[in-house]
Amino acid sequence: MGGLQKKKYERGSATNYITRNKARKKLQLSLPDFRRLCILKGIYPHEPKHKKKVNKGSTAPRTFYLLKDIRFLLHEPIVGKFREYKVFVRKLKKAYGKTEWSSVERLKENKPAYKLDHIIKERYPSFIDALRDIDDALCMCFLFSTFARTGKCHVQTIQLCRRLTVEWMNYVIASRALKKVFISIKGIYYQAEVMGQLITWLVPYQFSHDHPTDVDYRVMATFTEFYTTLLGFINFRLYHSLNLIYPPKLDVKAESELKEENDDDYAMNSESYLEKLSALSASLARVVSTAEEEEAELDQFPVEGEDMANMEAREKEQKQEEAQKKLFEGLKFFLNREVPRESLAFLIRCFGGEVSWDKSVCIGSTYEVTDETITHQIVDRPNIDKQYINRYYIQPQWVYDCVNAKIILPVEDYFLGVTLPPHLSPFVEEKDGDYVPPEKLKIMALQRGEKPAHEQEEEEEEDEEEEEEDDNEEEGDDSEEAEEKNLKKMEEQRSQGKSLSVKVTAGKVKVENPARLEQEEKAEEKRLAIMMMKKKEKYLYDKIMFGKKRKVREANKLAAKRKAHDDAEKSKKKARK
Amino acid sequence: MAPSRRTKRVVASQPGFLNLKSSSGAAGLPSIRRKRVNKNKKKNWNKHSDINDVTEFLEDVRHQERTIGGLLSEKSDDNLFFLDVGQPKKAEQKVAEPVDGKKRKGKAVRPLRIDLILQHDSLVPPPKDVLAYQQPNAKKLRRIAQKAEQLAAKGVVPRRQKQLLNRRPADRTAKKAVTEANNNPDREYYDIWGQESKDTADPWYLQQTGKKRVKRPEKLNEKPSVLPAVEVIAPGGSYNPDFFSHQALLQEAHEVEVKKQKEEDKIERQLAVNKEHIATEETILREQVEGLVEEETEEANEEEEGVAVGAITVAEKKTERQRKKERAYKVKEQLRQANRYQNDKRQQLFQLRSIKTSIKQEEQETKDKQKQRKAKQEAQKAQPRRLGKLKFKAQDMEVQLSDELAGSLRQLKPEGSVLKDRFKSLQKRNLIEPRERAKFKRRLKLKYVEKRAFREIT
Repeated sequence: MGGLQKKKYERGSATNYITRNKARKKLQLSLPDFRRLCILKGIYPHEPKHKKKVNKGSTAPRTFYLLKDIRFLLHEPIVGKFREYKVFVRKLKKAYGKTEWSSVERLKENKPAYKLDHIIKERYPSFIDALRDIDDALCMCFLFSTFARTGKCHVQTIQLCRRLTVEWMNYVIASRALKKVFISIKGIYYQAEVMGQLITWLVPYQFSHDHPTDVDYRVMATFTEFYTTLLGFINFRLYHSLNLIYPPKLDVKAESELKEENDDDYAMNSESYLEKLSALSASLARVVSTAEEEEAELDQFPVEGEDMANMEAREKEQKQEEAQKKLFEGLKFFLNREVPRESLAFLIRCFGGEVSWDKSVCIGSTYEVTDETITHQIVDRPNIDKQYINRYYIQPQWVYDCVNAKIILPVEDYFLGVTLPPHLSPFVEEKDGDYVPPEKLKIMALQRGEKPAHEQEEEEEEDEEEEEEDDNEEEGDDSEEAEEKNLKKMEEQRSQGKSLSVKVTAGKVKVENPARLEQEEKAEEKRLAIMMMKKKEKYLYDKIMFGKKRKVREANKLAAKRKAHDDAEKSKKKARK
Repeated sequence: MAPSRRTKRVVASQPGFLNLKSSSGAAGLPSIRRKRVNKNKKKNWNKHSDINDVTEFLEDVRHQERTIGGLLSEKSDDNLFFLDVGQPKKAEQKVAEPVDGKKRKGKAVRPLRIDLILQHDSLVPPPKDVLAYQQPNAKKLRRIAQKAEQLAAKGVVPRRQKQLLNRRPADRTAKKAVTEANNNPDREYYDIWGQESKDTADPWYLQQTGKKRVKRPEKLNEKPSVLPAVEVIAPGGSYNPDFFSHQALLQEAHEVEVKKQKEEDKIERQLAVNKEHIATEETILREQVEGLVEEETEEANEEEEGVAVGAITVAEKKTERQRKKERAYKVKEQLRQANRYQNDKRQQLFQLRSIKTSIKQEEQETKDKQKQRKAKQEAQKAQPRRLGKLKFKAQDMEVQLSDELAGSLRQLKPEGSVLKDRFKSLQKRNLIEPRERAKFKRRLKLKYVEKRAFREIT
C-alpha cells in the first residue's frame, strides 16, 4: 500500500465542472453581465451526470458550467467592454450626483459600446450554419417589433427589429420562398424554404400584448441583441444572393407609383421610407436591373443510382412548386380595413398577386377600391353595402387556405356571411391509416385535379365524398381478407380436384385476365412468404398487421363520429329553418 | 555692495544718528564714547570718516528730483502755491452749461485734477529692466534668420519644411473610430461570411501577442437539446379548428388540469388533520389527571426494570477439550466444502447445455437493459434538464373553449403570450436555467405609526 493517498474531488468530473458563482468570480463580472456574456457567446449550463460528485458531496441544486467553456470565455474581448461599461455607469452616476452637466455630456459621448460581429463569425463559421439557427432570431425580432415603444425595452431595439423583419419579409417576397402558413390562437406561423432550409417562425398578432410578469426581459433583450446582429448579416447575404440592393431600395418604377401621395400624412420623413418598405406593396430594386426575370431552365442530370421514374417524380414536383409560386399571379386583391393588412399583403405578394388597400389604412396603397380590374376583395364583416359585380367578396381565410392547399380553392365556401370551413394546420403530416378530416380529403381531391361531381348542394357533395372515402377505406382493409378468402377457396378446389373421380368434359376457353393473374400471383407470393416466416418474425408480422388494422378501425370510428356530428348539425339547421 | 556696507558702518558709528537698534543700544549703555581711530590710513578714512551729512543731502536732492521733478528751492512760487479763494461759483457754471453743450465737451478733455496730482513728474526716468530686452543666443539666431532669408531668396526650401510638405495630409474628416451601439437602427451590415481575412503575419506571433482569437471548441456548437426552435401548436389550436382536433386538444388540456388537481388534492390530503389526533373530552380529562392516578403501577414497573438492568450474563470460559473439538469440526467442515466444490465442478460437465442457455439468457438481459438505457437517454435529450434550483415548469396550454372560438379572423382573441412562449421555449431547450423573479427585499423594516390627527378621530 504505497503511494500518496488520493484525495476526493480532485480528479474526474468534479474538476470538469464549475459552479455559476465561481465562474462569475473568475471572470470578475456581475451576475447579469455574466448571464449576458453566456447568452451572447452561446455557452449554456450543463447538468452533470453525477451531481453529487461534481458538487463535492453536497446535493444542493446548483447551476454548473463546463470549466473549459469558462476558460474559453476568459479570452473574450467583450468582457473588457463590460467592465468598462460598469466604470462608465459609476462615473455617470457620480457626475449626476454632483450635477456636473458638462462631464455628464462628455461621458455620454464616450459611452463604451461593443460589437458582436466577431461572435457571429465565431459561432456560425459558415452561412448555412447561421441559416439553420435563424428560427429563433426571426421569432424574437418579430416579437420585439410589435412591442409598444414604451419603457419595456430600448426604442432603438424595437426600431432595429422592425427594420430587420421588414427586410426579411421583403426577401421572402422577392424569392417567393413561403411554403406554409397557419393562423393559430397564439399567432401566425409561417414556414419558408430558404436555400433548402425549412424555416419556421411565429408572428404575434398586433396590439395583443399584455406583458407577462414572469418573463425576464433582460434575458430576452440580450437574446434579441444577438439575434438582430445575426439576422442583419443573414439578410445582407440573402439580398446579395438575389442581386438585390442591400439596404433595400424600392424599385424605381414602383417608387414613382407611390410618390404621388403625400407621405407626410403617415410618417415623419425619416421613417417614411421604412414605412413604405414595410407596406410590402412594391418590389425591390436590383443591382443589375433585369427587365423581366428570365429563368433559364436548368438541365436535369440524373444522380447516379437514381432511376428514371424517380427523376420524373422529382421533375413533376419541381413543376408543381413552380406553379405554387405563381399561385396568385394575375389576381388583383383589395384589402378592406378590418382585415390584418400586413399578413395578407405579405401572403399575396409572396405568391405574385397584386394588393392594395384604402389610402387611409396605410402608406403604399397602389390602387383604389373603385378600380375595375380588382378580382378579389377581402372582407371580414357580415355584409357590405356597395358591391361591384365583377369581383369576389371573400373572407381572409380563403387566402391562407389557398396557400396551404397550393391551389386556388373554390371561392364559394368563403363568401361573405358563409360559415367558414375549418382552418386546418398544414404542419400535420398524416401517415396512412390516420384519421384525416373530410375537409382535408376534399382539398386533397382538388389537388389531384378531381372536380366534385355536382356542385348544386355543397353539403350533399361533402357527405357523398365522405361516404366514398369511407367505402374506400373499408375496401382497403377488406381487400386483403377477400384475397385470402379467394385463395383459400382456390386451394380447396385444387385439393378437392385431386380426390374427385376423373372426368373429361368439353374444354372451355378460359378467359385470361392478365391483371387479375398478376394480382393473384402477387398475393400467392405474399402468402407463401408469410408461410415461410420464422415463428418469431411471424409473431412480429402479426403484431404489425394488428396495429395497422386497429388504426384503421379507430380512424373509421372517428369518421363515423364526425358523420353523426355533421348529421346532428344539419338536422339542427333544418329545424331552425 | 561695498559702498553701501560702508555707509552703514558709518551710520552706526555716528553719535547723532538714531536708529532703532542704536537707540536701544544707547538706552542700554550709559555713555557712548567716540571711537578713536588712526586717521593716517586711507582705509580708516573710508571706514570712519563721517559722510552722513553729505549722503543725506544728496539723498534729499535725489528725492526731490524723483518726486517733485527738480529742487524745491529752484521752483517758482506759482508752482508751489495757489491762492485759495473759497468755493468756486457753481451757479454761474450751471447756467452756462446748458447753453453750449459743445464747450462742455471741450472742457471734459482737460485732465482731472486728481490725475494731475498723481501724475509722475520726476526727472529721473524709471530704471530699465535690461533682462527684458536681452535675448539668449540672439546673435546666433540672427545669423540663422539671415541665412534663411538668403536661402528663401534663392528659392531653396529647408529640409524640415520639405518633410512636412511631403507628409500625407491627415484625414481630418475621419472621426475617432467610435463603435456605435449595437442596437442602432440604422447600423450597417456587410458580408461577414464572404471575406476571408488573410493573416500575413506569423501565426505564432499573433497567438503570443494576443492578436489571434482563441478557437471556439467544437463541442460548443452542439445544441443542448434536440427540440426544434419553434414548436407549432397542435392542429386544434387553429383559430377555426376542425372539430375533432379541437376536441383532442381540449382533452389534452383537460388531462393536464386533472393531473394538477390530483397533485393538489394529494397534498391537501396529506396535510389534513388526522381525526384520531383531535382531542376528545376523554383525552382532555386524561391529560388533566395525568400524574394524579396510577402512581403505584409505575413504581412497580421501576422495580422490575431495576432487576433487569442489574443482570449481566457472564460467558463461561471454554475448556481445552471444547476448543480442540471446535477446531476439528472446523477442519472437517472445510474439507467437506472443498469436496463439494470439486464435485459440483465435475457435475457441471454434464450441465453444459443448461449453463449455456443460462449464459445466453444473461446476455440477452444485459442487451435488453442496454437498449432500454439507450432509449431512455434518447428520450432524455428532448427533456428539459435540471439546471438550477428550480425545475422547468411547462407553460399552461393555450386552449380556447368551444364557445370562446371566434367566428371570424376579425373577432379572434389571441390566447396566451408569444413572449412567454418564447421564454419557455428557451428554458425548455436548456439554453437558460429556469429562474424566479428576484423578490424585492426591504433593507429596513417598515414601521407603522398612527399619526396624531388620525388617532384623535379613531
